Amino acid sequence: MPEKKQGSSDKVVGGNVDITRRTFLHKSLLTGGAIATGSAVGFFQTLSSMEVANAAGESFSFAWVSDTHLYPQTLNQRFIDKATRAFGEVQAMGSEFDFMIFGGDLAQRGDPVELELGAELLKEVTIQKHFIPGEHDWYLDLGEAWNQHFGESPWSFEHKGVLIIGLDTVGSAPDYWSARGMTPKERMGHMEALDGSQAGPWSGLGSKNRQWLSSALSDWPKDAPVIIFSHTPLWECYAPWNFWIRDWRQVHEIIAPWQNITNVHGHVHQPLYNEIGGMRSIGMLATSWPWPYAPQGVPEITKPMLRVDPGDHFDGVGWGKLSMADGYMDNEYMMWREQVFGTTRADSGTGDNQNQVLSPRIADRGWTGD
Amino acid sequence: MLNTKTKGLLALVTVVVCVSLAFAFMVNRASAHKVAHDSETLQAFTDAFMEQVIRGDNLFHGGTEPGINLSNTGMACAMCHPFSSDIHPHEFPKFQEQMSEFATLRDMINWCIEKPNEGEIIDPDGEQMKALEAYMYWSNRGSVLDPGRH
Repeated sequence: MPEKKQGSSDKVVGGNVDITRRTFLHKSLLTGGAIATGSAVGFFQTLSSMEVANAAGESFSFAWVSDTHLYPQTLNQRFIDKATRAFGEVQAMGSEFDFMIFGGDLAQRGDPVELELGAELLKEVTIQKHFIPGEHDWYLDLGEAWNQHFGESPWSFEHKGVLIIGLDTVGSAPDYWSARGMTPKERMGHMEALDGSQAGPWSGLGSKNRQWLSSALSDWPKDAPVIIFSHTPLWECYAPWNFWIRDWRQVHEIIAPWQNITNVHGHVHQPLYNEIGGMRSIGMLATSWPWPYAPQGVPEITKPMLRVDPGDHFDGVGWGKLSMADGYMDNEYMMWREQVFGTTRADSGTGDNQNQVLSPRIADRGWTGD
Repeated sequence: MLNTKTKGLLALVTVVVCVSLAFAFMVNRASAHKVAHDSETLQAFTDAFMEQVIRGDNLFHGGTEPGINLSNTGMACAMCHPFSSDIHPHEFPKFQEQMSEFATLRDMINWCIEKPNEGEIIDPDGEQMKALEAYMYWSNRGSVLDPGRH
């Protein structure tokens, strides 16, 4: 695994962790706190961003782009156009950002042509870039091309008083291919379908990465801020779509002593927010397309996105701008539409979940190879 | 005026057609629900249904069949609708906003094929449409019928 990298500042912040009003409102809603629910909801839902706390430290901003899911250009220009737009906007605002994180799923089928296309498009962004892989980047050649282009994960560095960690949550899937004699293309094909039955609980850190995480955190002050980037969320949102890491309980045991952790993740293609212990978790947009929300719904403290128009390729997608200013980190969804969140059943992306009983797909359950 | 020979021929044809229709009607009536269903028969019905569900599942997840082209973008239905979610087949027919008209599930399936997927619409009464419909309903079984809901 790569050595721990050192960022542009080695300053360690040991001040108290503050909580912004918005985050406080989250907690109040979750626990039935003292604030009147009606007014809290009314205020909360007028906001288009979520703040997380860091009471001290220098200001900085960074950009998040993920889930471009590029096909070869001969097959799909649409996803190229959207990735290009995101990278162009990041570059146009480049002077505001200390770095950009690409959060995985650059490619759709792990095809070297797709990864090379992505690498070419990413040249548009000239600020410092960091990368973590997604499953679509990985399972054709088990990460070989990805690592050649974008380097290995996990990694960490300190930046202006914040420990920044990039995890690999995709590369340690239990082997579902060898016993069945799958070709690399077949292995990738089963990984490609979010709702497939064969790839199983592929998302996780695994023991090696958990040991690395424990080591990376070991000398960091317990009250100092940590940002963990991961492709998949570090909590159990919806296991059948791998909206989780399978070993989240073990990971939470590792991170429990640190009380100011922000997990920023991709994969879900939707605004998603949760708080567990000292960790807050923010789901980011894709540039490619939005996933529907998980069938069982979302945490109460998530503001669901507005329903999107499937006829508009640029609707419900975008990138993220995260700023640490005046001691607080603010996440702004740079969605390519005016209104981000839905507040009524008719407008909410979760509005129909209450009358939707779903079954896992069936056609791939008896798959034995062609 | 028809001559006697022609009249006789017409009468014969009429009798033959009527007898044939009556026979066909009687045969059809006699072929269903005249005896209690045994488990093998019920299983055969289920198998016939599930065969179409699996066929629809494959098409929904990017499978192809001769004579149709569901997508020209690489995208499959399941990429926006894992587990067939966010389709809500039980809420059709309804006014469909994207189409600005009252629409059936089959209308919406063809809209998605043509617009987001940039494929070629399929016969609304064809085998593939029925299979896609079967998969969507099967995936959403247990949801409450609520036609017209947005």
